[in-house]
Amino acid sequence: MSYYNEYVLVVEDDMQIRNFICYALNSEGFRYITAGTGQGALSLLVSEPIDLMLLDLGLPDVDGMEVIRKVREWSEMPIIVVSARDQDKEKAAALDQGADDYLTKPFSATELLARIRVALRHYYKQGGSRTQAIIQVGGLRIDFNKRLVYLDNQELHVTPMEYNLLSLFFKNIGRVLTTKYILKEIWGVDYGSDTQVLRALMAGLRRKIEKNPAKPRYIVTEVGVGYRLVDE
Amino acid sequence: MNKYKNNPAIDGGLEKGNWKDEARCLSIMTGLLISATVTGYIFRAVDFPETNIVLVYLLAVLLTARMTHGYIFGILAGVIATGAFNYFFAEPYLALSVDASNYIVTFVIMTITALITSTLASHDKKKTLEAQKKEAETKALYTLTNRLTGAADLNDIADIAVSTISDTMSTQAEFFSFDENELTGKISLRQVPPKKQIQGNLTDTTEAGYSRDAELYDWPLYGRETKLGIIRIPKDRAETMNESQKRLLQTMIESIALAMDRYWSMKQRVRSNEETMRERYRGNMLRAISHDLRTPLSGIIGTAEVLMDMTQKDDVRYNLAEGIHKEAKWLHSLVENILNLTRLQDGRLTLSKQTEAVEEVVGSAVSHIQRSCPEREITVSVPDEFLLVPMDAKLIEQVLINLLENAVKHTLPEQEISVSVTADKANNYIVFTVADRGEGIDPVDLPNIFQMFYTSGLKHADSQYGIGLGLSICDAIIKAHGGSIEAQNRTEGQGAVFIFKLPMEGNESELL
Repeated sequence: MSYYNEYVLVVEDDMQIRNFICYALNSEGFRYITAGTGQGALSLLVSEPIDLMLLDLGLPDVDGMEVIRKVREWSEMPIIVVSARDQDKEKAAALDQGADDYLTKPFSATELLARIRVALRHYYKQGGSRTQAIIQVGGLRIDFNKRLVYLDNQELHVTPMEYNLLSLFFKNIGRVLTTKYILKEIWGVDYGSDTQVLRALMAGLRRKIEKNPAKPRYIVTEVGVGYRLVDE
Repeated sequence: MNKYKNNPAIDGGLEKGNWKDEARCLSIMTGLLISATVTGYIFRAVDFPETNIVLVYLLAVLLTARMTHGYIFGILAGVIATGAFNYFFAEPYLALSVDASNYIVTFVIMTITALITSTLASHDKKKTLEAQKKEAETKALYTLTNRLTGAADLNDIADIAVSTISDTMSTQAEFFSFDENELTGKISLRQVPPKKQIQGNLTDTTEAGYSRDAELYDWPLYGRETKLGIIRIPKDRAETMNESQKRLLQTMIESIALAMDRYWSMKQRVRSNEETMRERYRGNMLRAISHDLRTPLSGIIGTAEVLMDMTQKDDVRYNLAEGIHKEAKWLHSLVENILNLTRLQDGRLTLSKQTEAVEEVVGSAVSHIQRSCPEREITVSVPDEFLLVPMDAKLIEQVLINLLENAVKHTLPEQEISVSVTADKANNYIVFTVADRGEGIDPVDLPNIFQMFYTSGLKHADSQYGIGLGLSICDAIIKAHGGSIEAQNRTEGQGAVFIFKLPMEGNESELL
């Protein structure tokens, strides 16, 4: 019944949360292994063939950020961080450090599994020889070869900047992109952190692709963190 | 000498017992003159020249002037010495002859010598006295300062102040201390037996530096910022004080005020240290709460959801698990609300204001609600114009979420909920409106709806979802942004409306 058999490492110090995560993973066919500390996680990461890591940022021994940095030295495996509600800065920092996504406690099993699926899909796509030439999300379609955007089969006129922004999201469907990351990708490394210019560009793009910019269907805002192109 | 007459404590009774003193001077003079006469006889017996005898007499006059005070004894000694020399040693012996002109010279010289010596001696003594007085003053001040340095509390300061002043001025003295300008303590100590109770109202100080009551003089103790207290001395004593005593008292009062200032600032420091400690404890406690309550609640919520997934919807166990899930979620939001409110009320939640796109914040709040209630339809309308407003996006999102959750709670699934944003360009405000078509707000509740722990109406008093923290948080957040929030019932048709305004960029005026 299940089509997943990836090996997931669950790093979480609370047993109850760990239990329900493991149950949810098991119900989808994932294999899993757990660690209650950062040290334990790091030793499992070197000894076990882990495919994806679920990492609680509030670990008793090591800073979760430290674990991400260590893993990123040798592996591109998807990392999803779990954090408390008032840890926006930590979330953004973890994403910039190389984490793929984040979940805020309390989260539902459904949400968790959806995020894992997105992260895995993205990971495999990246590993594949090349990205698809045409990607469709809902009524929105991008053609990378022709540099064209279609909305409900109608060609949509976008500026080069808007196209760049949109293509960045299409290459990272379902992932949260931090404002810092987007600024770096679109405007270059030394642009700084003028988020207003990004907000203005985003507002313009939304007025073209969304029916109601304040109720976006495609690119949603993660307040305090960044933006995400919603898949389903 | 008059100058010190009223300062017996310092003058040490030097002017007292004049009779005894004069008798002493007289005996000194007599003794010296007799000795001189005896020596004169011895000199004559051994045939020394007369000049030597004159010198011996001169010495006697000099010593008299030196050892007595005033000019009288010196001059008297001079006159007597001349007479004695004339009588005993000048021819005719044992008789006074006035015709010998050379004796007149001797007499004049002796008198002049006596005068000069007396003057010098008196001057010298006066100097010594002054020095002694200064020393006594300095010593009194030094002792006062020294003792005040060691004072542990206000009572100590009061004791030291009163005892020093009453000792030095030999008077009754009273000490009053103020705490934030309130009269708190009255400490008095009397060194002389009280003839009558010191009474009187505290009066305002005149510009003279002290104020007078019917029977009392008040000297205020001024600190750096406020009046710290009062030193009170009976009128009869205060009025007999001379300039230097007043100066001394003023200096003492300044020392006392300084010591009190030191005491208060030390106390202030201790208090602010305690405050810091308390803040730290509070912060730690909040962190502990946030971790120790949120973590198990997340576990319960997740586990209950898994249990729901495991059972069929018609199974009674599904309902039980759903109950757990719902309650745990409610508890979780309560914990979050309490944490937020505590932070807001502490004033410790510093707004991280940035210019934010209004549509993004609204969109995020709406999608948050849609995630938990996907069946609800929420209409959203924002201006077509791209609006940037300075705000703490996370907090304004929280306000919108709270208002929307409130609307969801008070409406039936098919009833409309809407969010709209308009720009009030004239007044430079951005206006957010969250409206529903639910039962509306009871007019009785309208004035209190943003108050903490106000639960809507009596009919819901036992409702467990009634702790009205959500709206209090909205109120606190909006006020922290310099905006305003209000609740109304809709005029056309039923339903409630919540409207809040935030100042737009460049609008410095704050709504209250």
